[in-house]
Amino acid sequence: MTSQVSAIEVITHPQVTESNLTKSQLRRIYTMRQLRWSDNSAISVFVLPSQHNLHQRFAKEQLQIFPYQLNRIWHKLTYSGLGVAPTIVRSQEELIQAVIKTPGAIGYIDDESLRKIKKNKSIKVSEMEEGQQVSGKGVVNVVKIKD
Amino acid sequence: MLSKLKTNAAIKVTSRVKYSYCLRLSVIRTVMLAIIITACYAGSTKAEEEKNHSNSQELQLHGFISQGIIDVNGSDFVNDDGDLSAELTEIGLNASYQLSDQFRLAGQVVYLDGGNRYEKGFRVDYALLDWSAYNSESWQANVYLGRFKNNHWLYSSSRVVPFARPSIILPQSVYFDGFRDIAVGSDGAAIKISHSHDELGNFDFSLSYGKSPISDEQTDILLGDIAMGVAKQDYETHGSFYWQPYFSPWRFGFSFLDSDFTYKRNEAFDFFTDADFSFQFYTINALYEGEYWEFSGEIYQQRFVTDGFYGPDFYKDSTGQGYYGQIRYKLTSDLTVLARYEDFYLDKDDKDGKLLEQNTGGVVPYYFGFHKDITLGLNYDITSNFSARIEYHWVNGAGRLTPVVVPNTLINDSEDWQMWAVQLMYWF
Repeated sequence: MTSQVSAIEVITHPQVTESNLTKSQLRRIYTMRQLRWSDNSAISVFVLPSQHNLHQRFAKEQLQIFPYQLNRIWHKLTYSGLGVAPTIVRSQEELIQAVIKTPGAIGYIDDESLRKIKKNKSIKVSEMEEGQQVSGKGVVNVVKIKD
Repeated sequence: MLSKLKTNAAIKVTSRVKYSYCLRLSVIRTVMLAIIITACYAGSTKAEEEKNHSNSQELQLHGFISQGIIDVNGSDFVNDDGDLSAELTEIGLNASYQLSDQFRLAGQVVYLDGGNRYEKGFRVDYALLDWSAYNSESWQANVYLGRFKNNHWLYSSSRVVPFARPSIILPQSVYFDGFRDIAVGSDGAAIKISHSHDELGNFDFSLSYGKSPISDEQTDILLGDIAMGVAKQDYETHGSFYWQPYFSPWRFGFSFLDSDFTYKRNEAFDFFTDADFSFQFYTINALYEGEYWEFSGEIYQQRFVTDGFYGPDFYKDSTGQGYYGQIRYKLTSDLTVLARYEDFYLDKDDKDGKLLEQNTGGVVPYYFGFHKDITLGLNYDITSNFSARIEYHWVNGAGRLTPVVVPNTLINDSEDWQMWAVQLMYWF
């Protein structure tokens, strides 16, 4: 499985300084075992509905976890008062908007949607280099996922 | 206040409805209505503010509603007459509000109707302050104060949530509905420490201390309605440890519980005497989650000590044991089949219940000493938050029927009984 086959991109709010994440960091974030970025700001996790094709692919390919396992973890948090689960949004468009608006946000989109929003001049996309300082409104960061 | 809500709020429509009860009921209903209206209002204003996602990051509202039908033949598990029943209703509404960086408030109100299985009505399922005491990339430590859920067994925290548990009826030896309101959580304090290690995997440690209020109805469910006195739980200490190896489909855990109860006889008239009860419960569990196959199982031992109750000099110390193993297989991404076997006996020195029958002079038949259940089920996820479920149980033994202490041997006159149930579940 290489990144050429996997056409899913992880995006964050522009003020998030992490330019790359390891697979285990990403998994910790989505299983709600890591709740803060390295600067101690809170992480806001956004996902698509569990039966959404992109969500199923993201879970299996990027997190190496099955969607039903994520549901079990999230349901336990939400319905037993232990914690807060990711926010579910209905479509990729909503997800992009949510990530742009919410400080500390993280989400995922497919690269076709990423190409579309790159064409849209109202949204800027930055592919961050290491150590690069990025901030500004209407921008999403694309985070590199390393093994 | 909370304890009153939990145990006394149940809507029990009997001929003995008292004025104070009605008053209390109307207060509870008003509070519930207020919560729901506030929730809906808050939800709608938030939705207007942030049109793109209905829950803000500070305030989260979720809930579920489910209704089913259940038919039991050969026992009083759900009702006394054995008719098809719609007493399979579960409704819940919860809110989580982030007060500050470190503090969060969370609460859930549920309405349950399960016939004889537990008290019918509203309950405050949990209402807690969550203090995020320590937080780093690989460590989390939280302190919960108030009413918290039992998070120690495989399905203890999700037993009230229809779609989050594996079947409509859970293995009764561990998740005994007659004991539900005491086992489901406590009022007190709990801590949870989680560690995520990049080589060793994930570790979760939980410890809780508190007690559960016991209502008159709960006393009847456990002891039978000839118990005129008052039962109460003195304390409950509960702990658990879970380990999931790094990126492994397996997870392993164990838990321990220690609890004391007292019974104070009704001075005016009672068939029973003052009593102290002590209950200890130990479990080990395993969970495997593969792409198509899922396996889970728990093995457990309980110790139940009765001092008094049947007479001032009565003393009994019995050890019960059991296990269940469950397999789920995903036929498609939406359709899952379930098969489970459960075997439990109340006294390890009397697995076939012969001593029980002997010692009670034949009043309590031998089959009240054990409980075995073969379950087959099917779950269909219609959408991401709407599911349907159907299952069939073949049960052998009456060891997990209510009332416990003074069993109903008239209705439960057969060793084997069966039930089936269908349930529709929606959540948000």
